[in-house]
Amino acid sequence: MPSVRDLRDRIRSLKNTQQITKAMKQVAAAKIRRAEEARKRARPYADALAEMLADLMAAVSSVDHPFMKPGNASAPAGIVLMSADKGLAGAFNSNVIHAGETFARGRSGVRYYTVGLKARNAVRRMGVSEHPTWPLGASKIATAREIASRTADDFVHGTISEIVLVSQKLVSMMSQRPETRKLVPVLAEDLKAFAATGGEEQTRAARGAVEFSPSPEFVLSRLLPKYLEFTIYSAMLETEAAFFAAQLVAMTNATDNASKLIDELTIAMNNARQAAITKELLEIVGGAEALGVE
Amino acid sequence: MPARSTRSERTRSAWLMADGIAFKLVTPARVVFDGEATLVIAVTTEGEEGILPKHAPFLAALKPGILRANLLKNGASSRLELATSEGFMQALPDRVTVLVDEALAFDDVVVAEARDRLAAATERQKGAAAGSDAYAREQAAIDFASAQLRLTGHR
Repeated sequence: MPSVRDLRDRIRSLKNTQQITKAMKQVAAAKIRRAEEARKRARPYADALAEMLADLMAAVSSVDHPFMKPGNASAPAGIVLMSADKGLAGAFNSNVIHAGETFARGRSGVRYYTVGLKARNAVRRMGVSEHPTWPLGASKIATAREIASRTADDFVHGTISEIVLVSQKLVSMMSQRPETRKLVPVLAEDLKAFAATGGEEQTRAARGAVEFSPSPEFVLSRLLPKYLEFTIYSAMLETEAAFFAAQLVAMTNATDNASKLIDELTIAMNNARQAAITKELLEIVGGAEALGVE
Repeated sequence: MPARSTRSERTRSAWLMADGIAFKLVTPARVVFDGEATLVIAVTTEGEEGILPKHAPFLAALKPGILRANLLKNGASSRLELATSEGFMQALPDRVTVLVDEALAFDDVVVAEARDRLAAATERQKGAAAGSDAYAREQAAIDFASAQLRLTGHR
């Protein structure tokens, strides 16, 4: 049985841990709010992009753009694996990395592009030390642009056969799910689905002919890379929000578990202390009896 | 029957072009402007294009450059000038939407930074083959940086 002092030390260290987890929980809660606001600020851009895309899709019958054509079939698949930069969020990072590996197993060859330090480290552990990687944290718009142009270049030059994004989806504050999405070649259905989020189908029908400058094909060829960029950017924002949501849950659980452990150890400590007192009393009484003290 | 407007009122409204158009300028990070304008001029890939109210449906790709707009707020007009990066402009009879990566106002431009970007992009462009994607990308960076410098009166 552990001594009273051992138990007291353990309780003290648990209380310290609990203070840390409690602080991290509060920080995560505050950061979710910030991340959600950033996502809300990106919304008008998404709406406007969707609306323009809808006009274009209505005007263009067949699209002659490298993004809309199948890639070099003999090349490996390009995976953009997106994680957070930090841990302490339960299985958040390992789930998305696992989803990436699962996808990779179904392909004959893959080329990784990682976003977030955890994904980078995981891919390095797989034995791929040299691969394009970016942190999730820093200026996301510029990073998204770099990722988009890098992967698009590789796709157009035939280094990779497709661009697949594996990232965490924020289903709700309590649940995040890894999602695997094919970004390029762009499927016409995906574009149409995105365009439909722009709304106002009726007004569009009433709008009639739209004039494009210089041509709908040209505008679409400019818009597709932006669509890729923005999809990556919004996935980064979603990953960040989902990370803090996962961290909030993980830290809430950790704090609760610490409370439970502290309660158990406190009872054990009280028992041990009481046992020690009883033992001492018995010894004193026994000793006194032996000495014949009355 | 409504009272006839006086001559001075009519002149005034004609002068201000009182019927404005909803104008929205958005970047991925934020809504830069959302209000009413009487005129929006943007640099498309085909040259400058001015949009007045009741414009026919129009969609254009924008080059980096200086976007200008005459704004209308509570009957008073003011001027908006921004250095914008690549993007798109959609005009409808009742509204104009401009979508760009970045839009910088006079106060947002850091001149030294814009100069550095311009020099760096010019340098990188020399290494790229003319007509390639990389070349076009650097050209866009050059145009955006020089638009920032022009906006702040440095070139």
